[in-house]
Amino acid sequence: MSEPESIVFVVDDDPSVRSAIKRLIGSMGLQVELFGSAQEFLASKLPNVPSCLVLDIRLPGISGLKFQSQLAKANIQIPIIFITAHGDIPMTVRAMKAGAMEFLTKPFHDQDLLDAIQLALERDRIRRQQEAELAVLRGRFESLTPREREVLPWVVSGRLSKQIADAIGTSEASVKVHRSQLIRKMAADSLADLVRMAEKMGIPIPK
Amino acid sequence: MISASGALSGSYDYSEVANSVLIAMFASYAALDLAARVTAAKGGIRLAWLSGGAIAMGLGIWAMHFKGMLAFHLPVPVAYHWPIVLASLLLAILASAVALYVASRKKMGLVDASTGSVIMASGIAGMHYMGMAAMRLPATTQFSPHLVTFSVLFAILFSLVALLMAFDLREETKWTVPRRLGSATVMGLAVSAMHYTGMAAASFIPASPPDLSHAVSISPLGNSAVAIAALIMLLAAVTTSSVDRRQSEHRLRLVIDTLPAIVWSKSPDGSADFVNQRFREYTGLSVEEGLGWGWMRNAFHPEDRAEEEWRAAFAAGQPFEKEARLRRADGTYRWFLLRAVPLRDEQGRVVKWYGTTTDIDDRKRAEDELRQAQEDLARVTRGVAMGQLAAAIAHEVNQPLTAIVTNGNFCVRTLDGATSNPDELRAAITAIVNDGTRASSVISRIRGLLMKGSPNRTDLDINQIIQDVTILLRNEFTRNRVSLRTELPSDLPRVTGDPVQLQQVLINLIMNAIEATRTSTTGRREILIRSAKNLDDVLVQVQDSGPGIKPELAHRVFEPFFTTKEKGIGMGLSISHSIIESHGGRLGIAPSSTGALFEFTLPIDDAGVS
Repeated sequence: MSEPESIVFVVDDDPSVRSAIKRLIGSMGLQVELFGSAQEFLASKLPNVPSCLVLDIRLPGISGLKFQSQLAKANIQIPIIFITAHGDIPMTVRAMKAGAMEFLTKPFHDQDLLDAIQLALERDRIRRQQEAELAVLRGRFESLTPREREVLPWVVSGRLSKQIADAIGTSEASVKVHRSQLIRKMAADSLADLVRMAEKMGIPIPK
Repeated sequence: MISASGALSGSYDYSEVANSVLIAMFASYAALDLAARVTAAKGGIRLAWLSGGAIAMGLGIWAMHFKGMLAFHLPVPVAYHWPIVLASLLLAILASAVALYVASRKKMGLVDASTGSVIMASGIAGMHYMGMAAMRLPATTQFSPHLVTFSVLFAILFSLVALLMAFDLREETKWTVPRRLGSATVMGLAVSAMHYTGMAAASFIPASPPDLSHAVSISPLGNSAVAIAALIMLLAAVTTSSVDRRQSEHRLRLVIDTLPAIVWSKSPDGSADFVNQRFREYTGLSVEEGLGWGWMRNAFHPEDRAEEEWRAAFAAGQPFEKEARLRRADGTYRWFLLRAVPLRDEQGRVVKWYGTTTDIDDRKRAEDELRQAQEDLARVTRGVAMGQLAAAIAHEVNQPLTAIVTNGNFCVRTLDGATSNPDELRAAITAIVNDGTRASSVISRIRGLLMKGSPNRTDLDINQIIQDVTILLRNEFTRNRVSLRTELPSDLPRVTGDPVQLQQVLINLIMNAIEATRTSTTGRREILIRSAKNLDDVLVQVQDSGPGIKPELAHRVFEPFFTTKEKGIGMGLSISHSIIESHGGRLGIAPSSTGALFEFTLPIDDAGVS
């Protein structure tokens, strides 16, 4: 069974609300999964596709806001759209500060919810893409020899091979070999490409 | 000079007669004055006043008598046997003591009065005839039995009148002195008349010279000395009495004027005849301005000048307490408590009211503040409860509404779209119907919660409920400066209902009315509560002077959760409507020229219908 393109999770303790939302979102061709509580949601296996969470503030057991901070602590970066029957300003501020995508008051406009879901899925998709790219780069970086890893920051800093050889105490010839090897292994098109990769990985560059 | 009958004919020295009459009057005045003193005194002081008074008064009467004897001149030398003269003086003092004792008792019945007057008369008559017997002259004395009897009867009559007068005049009031002077004149004349009748009863037949042992002749000097001594004695008694009276009066006056309250006495109808200095100090008015009905008309806050109520309270004749605001000299008003107790006569009629008017402003203010704090607390608690309730309602009702709206949107989208699956649409619409039913049941559940408690139906007087509620809300009226008018006919038939629920309805209508008057366009803040009898039900109307209800909203105000108020939750009228319906009546809006007019009916008890 192939994985879906994206998925929307809905956590609300009211079954009618849950199924109505599923019906609405489903009509847009999106995959929807329903949960009655935060615990149920956590117990399920999350597929690795762009997804977002439509979360009721008032939940049995743990509240939506608490659940939001628990997810953040567990480093589960899923965009959250809050829906509440009785929201006040402090509650909204707290949720938005903690990174919520949107805060909707029940009963909400269907378009508001759908727009928020689209935005959330898009953001999650980009985040996932960036994470995937980084994972590839890190894999390449791991394949370098210790000497090549040592040379890389110097190359990125724009030093000449002779200068690098003086700095790390080796011959100009072996630096040249390391340079061409690491550019090949990192699959960089140019020096500029390598600089961008180093930045993404957060490698410190000597001055 | 020997008359035809052989008796010696005497003659009177009229200036001496006049002196004797004056002494009699003076003695009478002293007697009346002393009776009052003896009455006012207690214990040892009373005994001292009684004996001192008896001596002074006895001496006075005796001096008058002796003076009268000396005013009578016979053509033969007359001497007096002094031990008998002394005995007659003692008898006069004794008679005076009896008289003072009787007249100074708390009560004087007919028996007391007659016994007292007989004893007193015997004493006086005894003294008179003893005095005559003390005469030593060369003649024998013969008495006319008729005149003697007449003089004794006259003495009894005089004594009775004297006792009654003394008893009556012992209270010290404004008119005491003039009345005492008048009475003393009458008494003095009566004493003299009795004396000269007694004298006239005697005739003297010449005989051998008398036994002059222990006899003294009275020189004109001695004659004057007797009179002067008696006068000095009486004067001393009256002066002492007056000093003593002034001192005790001063003491009482000081106590009354320094009491930390306005002290007053009033006549049975409530008009004041006395107020103490505190009245003047507090109000800045003169004491005279506090007399009559001035204590109310001049000193009270205009709103508290309910003269009819005050007259009714005095007319009821029972001790009572009432509160009123009194104007201080600087123009500020403070709350006072008036306490009145009646003084009654033997028949139970009120003869006087005594009372105090005490400043209770600080205490009342503290009480008001406490009550205000309690009310605020109650309001906050109610506010919190309302907030919680609103949250609960929002959540409970919003869930099905959210589902309905969402499903509805789904249906619209599906119908707009190219493909529409009838099964999916049916499922969504069924969900909408179910959620709609659910929302309505949530509302009735909440309403049931607000009206919880099983109704407790009793036979009741709706006017009583109205009055209870207006008392309950008195602070609200005052705080919002709303004046309340009620038209509650006393002949309303009784209805059956739950007093607490009906109170709830009235509180709701009145609180709404109070709130409405705040936005009054005319500036008038009035509420009129009226009750009336219809054909088979009782009608209650609550009308305010507010802006009224817009006609387009009129049919909505009884809907649950409908409100025109910023902080309302829209349950009050909805619940009131249900309560009145459950009583078999109707709650509605009636057309009115000013403000909003809410009215409800309650069916009349079948038992009460004649």
